[in-house]
Amino acid sequence: MPRTTRFARLAALSLVGACGLTAVSAEAHGIWFAQRAKQIALVYGIGADDLEMVKRLPQVEKIEAYDAGYHPIKATARVAGPVVLIDSEAQPTLVAAVMPYGIWSRVGNEEFEKKTLKEMPNATVSTRNVKYAVAIEGPLSGPIPALPGQVVQIVPAGPIPAELGTPLKYLVLYNGKPVAGAKVINDMINDPDAAEVTTGADGTVTLPVRNQGLNVIRAVYVGPSDQPELYRQVEHTATLAFTLAHKPE
Amino acid sequence: MNKTLTALLCLSLAGMAAPAWSHGITKPQHGGVVQMNGETMFELVSQPTGVSLYMIDEDDLVNAAAMTAKLSVTAHGKRSDVAMVALKGNQFFAKGLKLPKGANVGVQVTDKASGSRYGATFVIK
Repeated sequence: MPRTTRFARLAALSLVGACGLTAVSAEAHGIWFAQRAKQIALVYGIGADDLEMVKRLPQVEKIEAYDAGYHPIKATARVAGPVVLIDSEAQPTLVAAVMPYGIWSRVGNEEFEKKTLKEMPNATVSTRNVKYAVAIEGPLSGPIPALPGQVVQIVPAGPIPAELGTPLKYLVLYNGKPVAGAKVINDMINDPDAAEVTTGADGTVTLPVRNQGLNVIRAVYVGPSDQPELYRQVEHTATLAFTLAHKPE
Repeated sequence: MNKTLTALLCLSLAGMAAPAWSHGITKPQHGGVVQMNGETMFELVSQPTGVSLYMIDEDDLVNAAAMTAKLSVTAHGKRSDVAMVALKGNQFFAKGLKLPKGANVGVQVTDKASGSRYGATFVIK
């Protein structure tokens, strides 16, 4: 084999290896909770894109609500026209959801396809995606605990301030423990392309609260595969939603 | 012509400076405490015989008979749910209920016709 060809092949293999090891984000969309006609709705999208949640509802694995003591309350999803509303048996302090979003693979810079490594053995990126959402719906009685099923979860590491612009420290948990390397943006709805801030060794980032209204913080953490024969990584996309009240009218 | 335009502009700006739209009634009407969910006002009133809840939607009294209401009282980490009874007009009542200081009180109402379910949360001072 000519030397130049060998070099080219080695370079290509190195690139493939690097792509396999580097945490590659496959999908920036997420789920979050927002108010629709005074009720709690589960939304899928990014930025101003409030996408088809009803057709994705069968993918939702878990919907939960918690009271002021963070004890579970029974909660179910209800389709109301194009919107998915959350009905809980009592007024919740927290609501939470988990939506696995399949296995996606691609070769190089090609488009992602919904295929496993078995179906696309030459994939340079192969990832399983899971979306998580937590929303604060009432005053907090204490620190939010790690919630069941929220493999990646954003929790405020202090009281929610009353006014926008106030710095707030967020802790990103992975399997209930602070995790370094999670990539966080401050406003998934109004500033979805913002530069991501990475959690430090203590798993925290501090950001100014951006909106005197709905705030949806997003964290993406790429963790190891639990089924390496099918995908090389798991991309966890978690949101935390809370609202700052506007002035009385 | 210029004077007319200036006058129109001034009138227009004056209109903008004072917003006409608001959420209607937002102040307690029965001496209780108030929480808003959008334009809906929930007023919670502790009385010797129990607890009343009044609802006003913008300026309209909500017909209690068309709704169900539940209070979820969390104190010392334990929650108890109490179904309220619809009385006249926009009043619900939970007979004999006491709200301890510091309790977190979730109010949840359900529209019997539409199934809409929403509420608000109070912290009792």
